Amino acid sequence: MNTLAFAAITEADISAVRKRHPKAFGNPLVTALKLGSWAFIIVYLAWSLHLFEVGKLFNASDRAWQLISRMLVWRDMETWQYANIYRGIAQTIAMAFLGTLLGTIFALMLAFFAARNTMPGGVIRHAVRRLLDVFRGIDSVVWGLVFVRAVGLGPLAGVLAIWVSDMGNLAKLYSEAIENIDRKQVEGVRATGADTSRIIRYGYLPQILPVFISLSLYSFESSTRSATILGLVGAGGIGMIIIERFRAGLFDQVAFVVLNVLVVIAVIDWGSGLIRKRFIGERGH
Amino acid sequence: MLEFKGLTKQFNSTVAVKPATFTIPDGQMVGIIGRSGAGKSTLLRMINRLNEPSAGQMLFQGREITALKGRDLREWRNECAMVFQQFNLVGRLNVITNVMSGRLFHHGFLSSMAGVFSEKERAFAIRALDRLGMAHTALQQTDTLSGGQMQRVAIARALVQEPRIMLADEPIASLDPLNAKVVMDALRAINQQDGLTVVCNLHTLDTARQYCDRIIGMQDGVIVFDGTPKELTDKAAREIYGAEAEEAFSEALTSTALRPGAVAPAASEARVVN
Amino acid sequence: MASISANGTGQDPVSLFEGHRRQMIRDRMVVNITLLALFLAFLAWSVWISRFTPERLAAGLPRIFEYFGSVMPSLQWDVLFESRNEAGRFPPGSVGFWYNDFWKYLTLIWETILMALTATLIATGLAVILSFLAARNTTPAPWVGVAARRFLEFCRGVPEILFALILVFAVGIGPLAGVIAIVIHATGALGKLFSEVVENASMRPVDGIKAVGGDWFEQMRYGILPQVLPNYTSYALWRFEINVRASAVVGFVGAGGIGAELSHVISFFSDDRVTAVLLLIVLTVTAIDLLSERLRHALIGKEALK
Ligand SMILES: Nc1ncnc2c1ncn2[C@@H]1O[C@H](COP(=O)(O)OP(=O)(O)OP(=O)(O)O)[C@@H](O)[C@H]1O
Ligand SMILES: [Mg+2]
Repeated sequence: MNTLAFAAITEADISAVRKRHPKAFGNPLVTALKLGSWAFIIVYLAWSLHLFEVGKLFNASDRAWQLISRMLVWRDMETWQYANIYRGIAQTIAMAFLGTLLGTIFALMLAFFAARNTMPGGVIRHAVRRLLDVFRGIDSVVWGLVFVRAVGLGPLAGVLAIWVSDMGNLAKLYSEAIENIDRKQVEGVRATGADTSRIIRYGYLPQILPVFISLSLYSFESSTRSATILGLVGAGGIGMIIIERFRAGLFDQVAFVVLNVLVVIAVIDWGSGLIRKRFIGERGH
Repeated sequence: MLEFKGLTKQFNSTVAVKPATFTIPDGQMVGIIGRSGAGKSTLLRMINRLNEPSAGQMLFQGREITALKGRDLREWRNECAMVFQQFNLVGRLNVITNVMSGRLFHHGFLSSMAGVFSEKERAFAIRALDRLGMAHTALQQTDTLSGGQMQRVAIARALVQEPRIMLADEPIASLDPLNAKVVMDALRAINQQDGLTVVCNLHTLDTARQYCDRIIGMQDGVIVFDGTPKELTDKAAREIYGAEAEEAFSEALTSTALRPGAVAPAASEARVVN
Repeated sequence: MASISANGTGQDPVSLFEGHRRQMIRDRMVVNITLLALFLAFLAWSVWISRFTPERLAAGLPRIFEYFGSVMPSLQWDVLFESRNEAGRFPPGSVGFWYNDFWKYLTLIWETILMALTATLIATGLAVILSFLAARNTTPAPWVGVAARRFLEFCRGVPEILFALILVFAVGIGPLAGVIAIVIHATGALGKLFSEVVENASMRPVDGIKAVGGDWFEQMRYGILPQVLPNYTSYALWRFEINVRASAVVGFVGAGGIGAELSHVISFFSDDRVTAVLLLIVLTVTAIDLLSERLRHALIGKEALK
């Protein structure tokens, strides 16, 4: 066989190749399907953005610039009441910690009711799982608002909100960890003639404890993030300061607070990473 | 004509290729041999600038390759195709798309991002595949092919670039003797029928002897031998390979088992075609 | 062969082991006690700073139950599925009475889902591009990589609802602010995940496309994208689940979706309307989770077969 230049390929050559390898020229149905789905996505995006009045974006440039410039130029920094800000951040961390701790304790109990291998009875397991779905399905900010209505403004509502949503999340993750347990190790302990309490102590706990600790630490990290915004609905913490100063038009202070929060969250992530490593080694979760 | 003028490559502290000066006339099939770490891959990858030379110059038909940038550089890469030891195909795309990717340089931004190839390109790709006995796998997902098949697809991709030079970095090092022979035969055919310059890194001495017009021996980044296969005596070979000589020779023995042209094309190899 | 012990000092191996063991336990005890002390101190500090005392909790709990009692629907079996009466009203105790505003809620839930879907699509597109810029192995220049990584960190560091708060001020009340807020945050989160996938991808195909004369875009499109596409899809689906939750909340600050109605209902009424909206949200979120989980498993399952 000899060489062939790309430029020298004629229509006749193409149809000759097509005759021998018809499939290599693509399936028109597949091509149409691909094109169709891309077209669908584009049409959908255009339609939905139109529905959401994307045009407002182009009228907003004045206000947006005003906002950005007022966020970037920091004025009267000596009047910013730093003690308030840092107390708010501390309160946020405390809320996240207490909420996660309580959530962990309750999730520990619920998880065993939600796991297939520790709760073979279907009715209770399903009931517990649906309950967990409710806890998880509602965002912590919503819980915050609900608890503000129930117990009033302040960090108590925040702790309760994190407690409930962490309990839902953690119980689900814990129960999955329990279900994924290595049965051989449990049987190994049982084979030594151990009773139930010893089977749990030596068969289950060593396997699930590191996973539980790591999950709770992750949960603490994400709770710190959600705790920062709980204040937007009045449930304590730095969010209350953010929204107060935002409503008062003190955008430079808002920017400062948000920057501080970002740094604190980064530090917490880093610290919790260290602890995680100590408890479960490098392999992580 | 490809001219090297003191081309050098330095990685941090190690000098992988010491100033190399030589010329490759058009249409020659050159084999570069040398022990592991001698700098063969580095030299080859400097030709299409996958590795940036640290010093020196390289010219092709009088044009300074080492000074190319941007689109000119990509045009040069398109002109000198490369075949890799590990094939470097896109495993999750099908064979024909991999081959057609050899024409990406000629595409505009939109058509290449959308993955649209013309009928002409398809026909051309099929022809290239056919030449290597691989047309029947055109629609197969590439990572389901065997190593030898993948290397032939890679050569087909190189062919649709319509290159002027074909670089091959140990194209047969991960293949069994039969596939190695098929691939080397294909490279030799490309060299002889299309008149392409072929520069090929090889691990085994006898392959270089069998297929190449000219052999360049490297040792620790220095070209220590440059001549015809005949001039490459046992003594010269031992100098190139140094202490590893025995090993290299026994390795060479294994692949002398097949003579060029002795085996039927592997197109008959059975594989499921989609 | 005077001794079987190999430690050279001629000590009894058992007592040597016991010594080591005691030392190890002592070391561990010290660390654990320190950690426990730190933990307790942190706990005490937390209780103090958030004034979360047992008395407050004890005082709060009855009010919580009281509140949940008041927002529960009072359903009565005999009229449960009763339709409208002559006056055009549902009888008290029926589902119709409970969900009197059903169509209004459903419209808002629909808007919430659309917001999440639009935001997920846009964020995925942006994250794909940014992930190639941010990944250490594919970034066109080191400074571009650093800039892209910092940018992604900022985007995912700030919660959606904060962006929404600011955007409502800039573009006005309505779903647009919510969509943009979710886009920004989700781009940050997805961009990070995506770039980690890229960093684990093989660079050989990229070299192949480079050798063909392909530019950076073509190297990404043909060398990387086919490798990472299944992972990207799975992450994007997972992000959609999260975005649905987020878009149900951004309405709290006026950024569209069911959130505005929810916050209105909770803030101004403590009756069964609260549970009506909440239940609808939970059902939607759970249904979408299940659907997307199925899809994800189907995708991954198909990958595993290959
Ligand atoms: N990216 C790199 N960074 C640092 N050093 C490198 C790099 N690539 C190659 N080297 C060094 O350059 C020298 C030459 O390497 P090269 O890959 O060219 O050898 P080779 O002759 O192709 O060997 P082999 O036959 O094993 O493929 C070696 O010492 C190698 O360690
Ligand atoms: Mg090499």
